[in-house]
Formats: sequence, C-alpha cells, structure tokens
Amino acid sequence: MPFRALHERDFLGRQEELAILSKKALRADTGTAQSAVLVGARGLGKTELFKQLFGFLFWKQDRVAPFYYFVNSALLSASTFSKTYLIQFLCQRLAFEKKEQSLFSCEGMSLAALSMLVEDRNAGWAKEIIDQYEQNSVDPINALRIALAAPHRSALSSGTPVAVLIDEFHRLQNLSVQGTPDPQLVSLFEEPLSFTKAPHIITGNAVEILEMPVASILERIPISPLEFKDAASKILAPLRVNDFRGNAPPLLLRHLGGNPFYLGCIGKTVATKINPEDKDFWNAYLMEILGGGLALLWSSTLKGFFPELGTRKTALAISHKIYHSSEPLSCNRIAASFTLSDDQAETILHKLYLSGIIRGEFGVFRSVEDSVLRDIVDCFYMREILAKPSHDLEQETMARLLPERPGTISFDLTLPMAKEAELVAAQCLDQIGKNLHLSQDVTGQLQIAVIEACINAMEHSRGTEKKIYVSVTADEKRLEVSIESSGQEFIVQETGEPFSDREAAKSTGRGWGIKLMKRFADDLRFEKTPRGIKTVLIKQLDKVVRAKKEDTTKNA
Amino acid sequence: MHNFSLSAKSEHGVAVMLPKGYINDMGAVRLEQASEQLLGKGVKKLIVNFADVQFINTIGLSIFTGIVQKTQDHESLLCFTNLKKIHLDVFEMVGLIKHVKIFKDEEDALTFLKGRG
Repeated sequence: MPFRALHERDFLGRQEELAILSKKALRADTGTAQSAVLVGARGLGKTELFKQLFGFLFWKQDRVAPFYYFVNSALLSASTFSKTYLIQFLCQRLAFEKKEQSLFSCEGMSLAALSMLVEDRNAGWAKEIIDQYEQNSVDPINALRIALAAPHRSALSSGTPVAVLIDEFHRLQNLSVQGTPDPQLVSLFEEPLSFTKAPHIITGNAVEILEMPVASILERIPISPLEFKDAASKILAPLRVNDFRGNAPPLLLRHLGGNPFYLGCIGKTVATKINPEDKDFWNAYLMEILGGGLALLWSSTLKGFFPELGTRKTALAISHKIYHSSEPLSCNRIAASFTLSDDQAETILHKLYLSGIIRGEFGVFRSVEDSVLRDIVDCFYMREILAKPSHDLEQETMARLLPERPGTISFDLTLPMAKEAELVAAQCLDQIGKNLHLSQDVTGQLQIAVIEACINAMEHSRGTEKKIYVSVTADEKRLEVSIESSGQEFIVQETGEPFSDREAAKSTGRGWGIKLMKRFADDLRFEKTPRGIKTVLIKQLDKVVRAKKEDTTKNA
Repeated sequence: MHNFSLSAKSEHGVAVMLPKGYINDMGAVRLEQASEQLLGKGVKKLIVNFADVQFINTIGLSIFTGIVQKTQDHESLLCFTNLKKIHLDVFEMVGLIKHVKIFKDEEDALTFLKGRG
C-alpha cells in the first residue's frame, strides 16, 4: 500500500462502514456508482477507513482498481498537483494489474520515466493519457482537467473501473495558478465526480467540504463514533504487548466519546505504564490535553485558521464563552461582548465553525458535543488568556473531571525550593495525622518519607518552576501524598528508580531516600506528569487499623 | 532557617550531645564538628541524646556514618539514647545500629559507660 494502515485486528468497530464503502466502490463495475463524502468530526478515523478500503480493494478483489490520493498542502499549484495526481494514479493503477506493491515506490518518478515504464508494460491506454497530458502541460488548467479525468479515461480504455479515494479534499480550495489561489479551480472536479465508472469517495474537514460547490453532487456517508465496547478495545490495544488484563475507567471512555484518535492517543500514553490503574488513565488524559497529541491536534487546527496571535486569542476567548454559555449565541451578541465589529465577529465565528470548534445553525453558535474539545478549550483559555500556571490548570481540570468522593479530604500545598521547605510539608502531615486520628508511628513514617520525596524533588528538578507541589488526599481506607516538581524525568522506567540515586549512593552513602520511602509507605510510585515528575506515597489506613487490632490481640 | 540547635555537657568523663530539631546536612555537620572536637580532646565516651530530635533526613544520616566511623577510629564508645521508634527504624535500616550502643535514656547509658572504666 502507498501508506501504512492498521493491522486488521486493531481496526475496531468500523467493519460495517468498510463493508458499505466497499460495496459502493464496487458498484463502479456495473457503472452505477455515485461519488460520496465521508462526514464526521476530526479524529473519527476517516483516513484509516480509507486506508483499509484501499487495502481491501487492492488485495482482495480484481474488478475495481483503487486509487488513493492524499492532498498535500505544499503541492497545490495546479501544474504540480496535476502532475503528482497523474503519476500517482498511473503508478497505483499499473500496480493493481499484477498486485505489484513495489510500484508504489515509483510514485516519485518523472513523467518521462513513467512513460517508458508504461511502454514496457504495453499499457496503451496509459500512454495515451500521458501523451495527452504532455501536449497540454503548457496550460495548467487543461493539464489539471486531463489529470482529473485520467481515472475515468483509463476505465473506459482499459475496461477496469477505478475507485478514487481523495483524503484532505478541503485543501483543494487552495489550488493555485502562478501562486494565486483560485477557489474556483476545485469546480474542475465536478465532472470527474459524476463519472459512474470512476466514482470518487472523498474526505477531509467535513464542514469545509460541505461548503464547497461540489458538495451538492456528493452522497453523504456519516461516520459515527465507536461503540463503547470497541472504544474500550481501542484504548487498550497498545497495552496488549504488556499483557494488561485490566480495563480503562468507564467514565473516561464515555468522556472520550468513541473517537478513535482520542482513544489511541490515551492508549499510547498510558502504555508507558506496566500495569496502569484508573488514575494512570486519567493522568494520561491530562497529559494529552495539556500538551500531548490531543492538545496538538486542536492547537494546530486553531493556528491553521488563525495564524495571527491576537486574533487567535480572541477566537479562543469567543470559543470559551460559547462553551460556557447556557444558550446559543448570536454573532451580534459575540460582537458586543468582545467589542468587535459585526464583520470581525462574523469572520472569526465562521472560521471557528469551519474548524469544527463550534457549531453554527440558524444564525446562532453553540458548542460542539465533544467533551475532550471542551476540556481543551478550557485548558487553552486558562493558559493563554488567564495565564494560569500549569499546576492550577491541572488541578482545576482534574477537579472538574473527577469530583471528589464523599468522605475524601484533600489538602494542597505549594512549597518554594528553599532550604528546609520540606519541614513545612512534614509539619502539615502532623496535623493531618491528628485530624485523621492516625498513630504517631504512622504519621512519623509518612513524615520521613515525605521529607525524602521533597529532597529528591529539589535535587532532581531541572525545571524553571522552582516549586514543589504537595497534595494529600485521604479517605477511610488510604492516605496518599504526592510530591510533584518540574524538570526532566529522573526515573528509570524498568526499575522505577531515579537515574542518579545509585551514583549518589556509591559516592556519599546517599541513595537511602528511596529505600526509606519504600520502607515507610505501603506503595511508592513515580509518575511522569505534564509538569515533570510526581512521587506518590500511599499508606493503607485500613491496614493500619488491622495492625492495631492485631497488636491489641497479641498484648491481650 | 534554623531548625537545629546543639547543646553539650560533660559528666564523669562522658560527653553528652543534645541535638534539637531537624538533623539535615547542616545539623549533622554541626554534630560532626562537635564530636570531632570532643574526640580530639581525648573524650572516649560519647552519648547522643535524641530526645529533642524531630526529624532526620538521609543527608544527615550519611554524615552520621562519618561520626560513627571517627568514633571507632578514636577507639571511643558512642551511645544513642531517647530514640523515637521511627528514628530507631531509620538507623536500623541504614545499618548504623550495629556500630553504636542504644539505650532508653541517658541514665542507662551513663550506668553502662561508668561500668566500662
């Protein structure tokens, strides 16, 4: 294939859509096929569906030749586009004859070289197309017309229909002649899209495609989110290598809304843990929306539509307002709220609509039903507009996502990286221990462990944020203290030990910190966080109670 | 910040050091300096009374190993008294217990040291 597709076992919950599309493409054989557009939000797996469809058509049948083209935004001058389109089509079409995968690598060859290959193969139909293209290549519009008609012409000449799959079709609005984009050029697709022997299935940003003039002749095929069961399998797929047998938190799965891209990103991030718990899944989500693939998807979308920083910030603030409004907002209301002219507000709102960040209908705008996008808008807003530090951002997001269970108490403390600041954390624990009626021994053990964790955080932090964040959460069963600092990761994943602790141990007798933490906590974990690294100390309080009872029994 | 102080006294040829507060690097260095001075003066019996020690961290502990080593080099006796359970656990974990004598309080330690000539 001209691209990498997922293994069949990882292509989850899309068999029905694949069957529908295959059937549609194969109708080209009887000359009854109709061109269509896949409609669905970002990340729903339209591109992957295309790849799977191509794989099916290429390998598993002989009636209809597939042609996949990914619109590259760097190749949008009419002459360059027409040439690459034609060369790729001919290479894939010739490859289909004898299922020669090696021909995919010839897609970068020159037209002259391709012409020789075509002669070598006695593909007269292809030679005719190349000759016609070369004769018209001085006129970029004519050349484009010939390239776009090539699949249909080949179908008529060779007798083998073609299913044309075009990904990122919306980018074709920027087709240009001599450096000037001409949105009308895309209308040259109108004729090819009506060929029943060479149906086109296109995808890309659905909102933009549906605004293009060619959309009126396309059948719409909606792509839905994955079902819950498939979503669960999708998020766990990267964890299979570790033989993980647990489940992802159902609340998180519902939150991700069956979006394969979202699920895949979280799955990959959480797969860095050997046996992830619910909390690890949520942490992975937090990392993703604060600075991972999920954040990148939407920040690049926003940048693409609003390259200028000032306008981008205004667009972000408007999005935030729309997401937090209990009712749809009109353009006039937005203009008044942000002191913009109606034209300015309309331009921004229209771009936000095209980007898929907001919905627009009947002259009003509302949020998209996408919880992840909502979180990302909130995070971007807090960071870019309110300039909140990442710790607050993290805390507020988590608090919103995971409301505290009844009976849980939590304390947050921010320490400067100053000499003996660790004592402040230790003293706080003393009072928390008293409040929870913990024995002096248990509190003392935790105090020592926390002191060591704070010292570790100070020693290993290489971040610019000279702070340590201590969080204490307790319920009836357990007490958890997390100590987080900025800076690079200092943990060896395989062993869970800090990189430099062993070295320190050799030279000075240090390196006891981790041992002490392990000894005095029931569980010790190191987690990579968006800020840096977090040391988590857990004390099982029900175990403590049992220990007390055992002591009483023994004494009696 | 000053979360550490050190006082010392001498009774019947036995030097008693009373650290107070948080034994970190600075606290332990002061203890080390004080013990070096005492050992330098020929004191052969040392007691460290931990009654007022609140916390010990591992940097302090590493310096403590030096104190123990120097005491052994001077063929002197080092006793720890009034240790809280948590501190005893810490010393035990790092293996310091083997090289010092542990007593419930100063009185017990003094009785032991008097008996050692």
